[in-house]
Amino acid sequence: MSQSNRIDGGQIDRSRTLKFQFNERWLTAHPGDTLASALLANAVRLVGRSFKYHRPRGIFSAGSEEPSALVQLRKGAALEPNTRATTIEMFEGLSATSQNHRGSLEHDILAVNDLLSPFLSAGFYYKTFMWPKAFWEKLYEPIIRSAAGLGKLSGMEDPDTYDHGYLHCDVVIIGAGPAGLAAALAAGRAGLRVILADEDFRMGGRLNAETYAVDGMDGADWALGVIAELAIMNNVRLMKRTTIYGAYDHGIFGALERMTDHLPDSGDKPRQVLWRIYSKRAILAAGATERSMAFGNNDRPGIMLAGSVRTYVNRFGVAPGRKIAVFTNNDDGLKTAEDLRAKGIDVTRIIDAREGDVVVNTNGRKGLNTIFLNRGRHVEADCLAVSGGWSPNVHLSSHHRGRPEWRDDIAAFVPGGELPPGMVVAGAAAGTMTLAATLAEGHEVATRVATDLGKSGSLATAPRASDEIFATAPIWHVKESKHRAWVDLQNDVTTKDITQSYREGFRSVEHLKRYTTLGMATEQGKTSNMLGLAVMADASGKTIPETGTTIFRPPYSPVAIGAFAGRARGKNFRPTRRTPSHNWANENGASFVEAGMWKRAEWYARPGEKSWRDSVDREVKATRNGVGICDVTTLGKIDIQGHDAAEFINKIYANAFLKLPTGKVRYGLMLREDGTVYDDGTTARLSETHFVMTTTTANAVLVLRNLEFARQCLWPDLDVHLISTTDAWAQFSVAGPKSRALMQKVVDDLDLSNEAFPFMACTTCTVFGGTPARLFRISFSGELAYEIAVPARYGDAMIRAMMAAGEELDLTPYGTEALGVMRIEKGHVAGNELNGQTDARMIGLGNMVSRKKDFIGAALLDRPEQVREDGLQLVGLRPIDQDVILTAGAHFFVEGDPEDMAHDQGWMTSVAYSPELGHSIGLGFLKRGRDRHGERLRAFSPIRGQDVMVEVCSPHHIDPEGDRQRG
Amino acid sequence: MIIKHPLLGPRDAAEFVYLGDANMIKRPEGFGENVEEAMYEHVYLRENPAGEHHELWYHEQGDRSWLVVTRNTLTHEISSVELARDVARRKGRSK
Amino acid sequence: MADIPLTAAPALGDVNLTFASCVLTERTDIALISVATPHAGYEALAAKIKDVWGLSMPGASASLNAGAMRAIPLAADQMMLAFTPDGGLSETSVQAELTDVAYTTMQTDAWAIIELSGAGATAALERICPLDLDPQTFPNGAAARTMMEHLGALIIRLEADRFLLMSARSSAQSFLHAVETSCRWTAP
Repeated sequence: MSQSNRIDGGQIDRSRTLKFQFNERWLTAHPGDTLASALLANAVRLVGRSFKYHRPRGIFSAGSEEPSALVQLRKGAALEPNTRATTIEMFEGLSATSQNHRGSLEHDILAVNDLLSPFLSAGFYYKTFMWPKAFWEKLYEPIIRSAAGLGKLSGMEDPDTYDHGYLHCDVVIIGAGPAGLAAALAAGRAGLRVILADEDFRMGGRLNAETYAVDGMDGADWALGVIAELAIMNNVRLMKRTTIYGAYDHGIFGALERMTDHLPDSGDKPRQVLWRIYSKRAILAAGATERSMAFGNNDRPGIMLAGSVRTYVNRFGVAPGRKIAVFTNNDDGLKTAEDLRAKGIDVTRIIDAREGDVVVNTNGRKGLNTIFLNRGRHVEADCLAVSGGWSPNVHLSSHHRGRPEWRDDIAAFVPGGELPPGMVVAGAAAGTMTLAATLAEGHEVATRVATDLGKSGSLATAPRASDEIFATAPIWHVKESKHRAWVDLQNDVTTKDITQSYREGFRSVEHLKRYTTLGMATEQGKTSNMLGLAVMADASGKTIPETGTTIFRPPYSPVAIGAFAGRARGKNFRPTRRTPSHNWANENGASFVEAGMWKRAEWYARPGEKSWRDSVDREVKATRNGVGICDVTTLGKIDIQGHDAAEFINKIYANAFLKLPTGKVRYGLMLREDGTVYDDGTTARLSETHFVMTTTTANAVLVLRNLEFARQCLWPDLDVHLISTTDAWAQFSVAGPKSRALMQKVVDDLDLSNEAFPFMACTTCTVFGGTPARLFRISFSGELAYEIAVPARYGDAMIRAMMAAGEELDLTPYGTEALGVMRIEKGHVAGNELNGQTDARMIGLGNMVSRKKDFIGAALLDRPEQVREDGLQLVGLRPIDQDVILTAGAHFFVEGDPEDMAHDQGWMTSVAYSPELGHSIGLGFLKRGRDRHGERLRAFSPIRGQDVMVEVCSPHHIDPEGDRQRG
Repeated sequence: MIIKHPLLGPRDAAEFVYLGDANMIKRPEGFGENVEEAMYEHVYLRENPAGEHHELWYHEQGDRSWLVVTRNTLTHEISSVELARDVARRKGRSK
Repeated sequence: MADIPLTAAPALGDVNLTFASCVLTERTDIALISVATPHAGYEALAAKIKDVWGLSMPGASASLNAGAMRAIPLAADQMMLAFTPDGGLSETSVQAELTDVAYTTMQTDAWAIIELSGAGATAALERICPLDLDPQTFPNGAAARTMMEHLGALIIRLEADRFLLMSARSSAQSFLHAVETSCRWTAP
């Protein structure tokens, strides 16, 4: 049996034969086929099982609206569930399997659900599985979960890649059917930059599926000619296999282009590209979707939309059946019979609902064989072509605020209300249901857009075709039918479910939708919404427009999550920043920690060290006893220049800066306008008009943003200019009693004695015989320390030269952990303390804050919470039992007090093991902390299960007088 | 969204950072008790209308200019975009 | 003090990659000095750069070229001078020329610079650059700061199919990866 249903004609390439697999069975097809057309050509009718009742399902449509023929495509990790067979372009070796059955497709064990259907109606979850309560978690939910869902994921990582991209145009035309092609031709000839996108792999829309003539030639040939003309226009971009899935603000559209889905192998290229299209105007020419009618057992394989039957016959050269009946409520259905007869296919009966003939039931267990009509008649048929009229594809018109409007003459909703700005609608999407009118409208709309955008209208005239008759009668539901009648084939929603939910009080369409699951999942109501609405209108005795409509949200059709993620996967989830000494650190045993986007060395492990603590303790000791070096490039650096630079900085920092002398550095405390500490750092004055501000690593970008705000919005006439130099300078901290000896070997001809270059001095200089540098005498560790900066290009050479120069001093590189230990030992605050709730008083810097100037945060320094007598103050903590390792986050309680909020005394913010003191130490906030040095408290951490006694002490665990850093 | 930068033309909103109500330009000057109340209002009270709103946006991934964008929060329609520096000067801010 | 002249390391290791329809090269020969215009100092600065390099002040969206010197707009009151240092022209000499008329900052080390050229350059950029690079809207000389793959970037069109792409030095490897991936994925 090879393509036994293949007939003459169609736009397929019969010169080539492709092999493909369905349920492990090899079949053949031709290029130009979809999986659906190929299955039909091979007389495969049963392709899946329905969602709830596991009823046999076949191919219902020929496009992206397909609710039934969902399959698993490809194998292994690349397996993709719930793909619509009607949209899968055939390729050599394609493999698909049916889904949603237990056991084989032919003998699905869960088909028993169909017999249980009286219990599985709308809302059955909520009613059936209510008690006993304990059964829910243990029994009901696992069973429901295992039976629910359609396809199955591979469970493996998606092996494909996805990409994003940006496109710009004057007009984006959505849909390349007759209206879209006519519009593209007019817009392209007028010189507009045009993007023409269509979800199909062959442009032309219904022209490919029908037998109409345009401009005196076959419609499909006319489409080919237009596409050929557009293809050579530089100002037109043709995007087939591209779904415009969403209309966003200001003319931005989301588009998914399937790049390699139609190829056996992606060739290491992205499978799909998610485009962001920027447009000045949009023409929605998305066509219309045919809908069915509800009658008894209308879900069997072989029952198909009439327009889709024509598609298979005319476009794919496939007979969906050999004895086909037509059931219609409009003239379009009659066209189906005409086309079938023209191909020599037996049309067993035309059942025109307008003449009082209706289908009440069907028979055929795994595929249609008999149709029962009213008045006791029946017809033999293996295919029933149903046309319940066409619904304009209004989706994108309602993505903003558009609300579709009802039109009685076509019994359908058309775009209405406020369309997305810049959008116009043409063709069937606008409710223009006949070909000649559609072509004229596409042309006319595009000409108007061109004029609007300042391009003189095209000289060309609209394409011409003869107009067919389109008369429809709104017949939705065959009420004579006693059998279950499906409204939503995908979610197994029947007319009974809708009337029942109405009886149960669900009066809003939106509620109906959620209660019955009507129009959910991949189909999104394309074939089912109208029918559901009509049945509900009938139940409520209202008209359809009175009943309402559900509006549509993006995406128009399913978009894989991978496409939204694009390249942002794994290590490419976000960018990585590296310090200038990264390569050197990597060669020297560093492990790295992520600090924002930065990778910073956290410690340098040496052979024999068993844990990170060994490395960190060694680094701290070596620095405190000798000299250590640490890359501090990540701290934000902002170049501030201008005649008013000093005045500007004085307005930013809470402490005085106006009189900072050239050649000096000062610690700066930055507040928010509400008085809370925002950031801190040092700022150096390089000249009268030139400062370099440093910020914390985390706030580098934010501080620059705030400075720009102050400069542009608050004090716009200050002459001050900013530029980030964070990346421009490789900066190293050199700390420890031997740091002066080291720096003397590094810098050229500079007196580093305490007198000549004291604590908080800075200068420009050169290093290692001429390389330009900046030297600062600042200390975070509390030791005698320097920071030396060289242009970043010399950073790698600099660390290597420094290490060589420091060899005889046993220069030791240290990482962020040792840095953290030393700052806790010294009692310097960092992110743990500056958490957005801290003010200057709390960290002991209340006196530093100026009371003599206006600056950011000056006005709200004395809010009641900040001046309360029992306010929190920074303290040091040490364990009474020196073997105890303290934990951050522990709360302080007076011994004997209950552990509750009323008795809470404060909390531990930072902890470290101090190699110098030989025990664990902490910093914390304690009520009236500065008056309580020496007091013993409980440090209680229920989360970590710790309850230990600590003694309150000065936060400066070492060198409280600061002699070392000044020495 | 697209913001029509007064100097650079239309740019994707992704290049910008949103701050909020443009009244933040009107910072009370001075310090001490006399400005406390005014500063309290400046810091904590913001306009948040359903409709036309003057907002501050920062072109961080661009020319680092602060802009005052007049945007309808219901429709996202942007009716005007100005350099915040010009607005600030117009409102009498200087040094 | 030890005399060990430090060697400069290129941000991207002098990368040079050829793809089917474009070429990606690190430019290590370009020095950068940012130049901020003092308040009420536009005329003086404009006169100075005209006098010294025959250069005009750039507009908001277009860089200008005169001889060895290119002026690239950065902000409303800030531009970048880009040049290839040679005998007479160095970072120090350029800064010295402008001492009295502008505020300058050395920026050479803050950026990594990639030159992307070839018939496929714009197709590659379509995947990462949100700007409209149509020659009508982004002609030769056009310059803009924007965001590519979450990284700040400066793009300058030198010729129809030749661009300079600049991004921060510390994240240059990520930027290179972004551009390289685009070139690879859009190769015909």
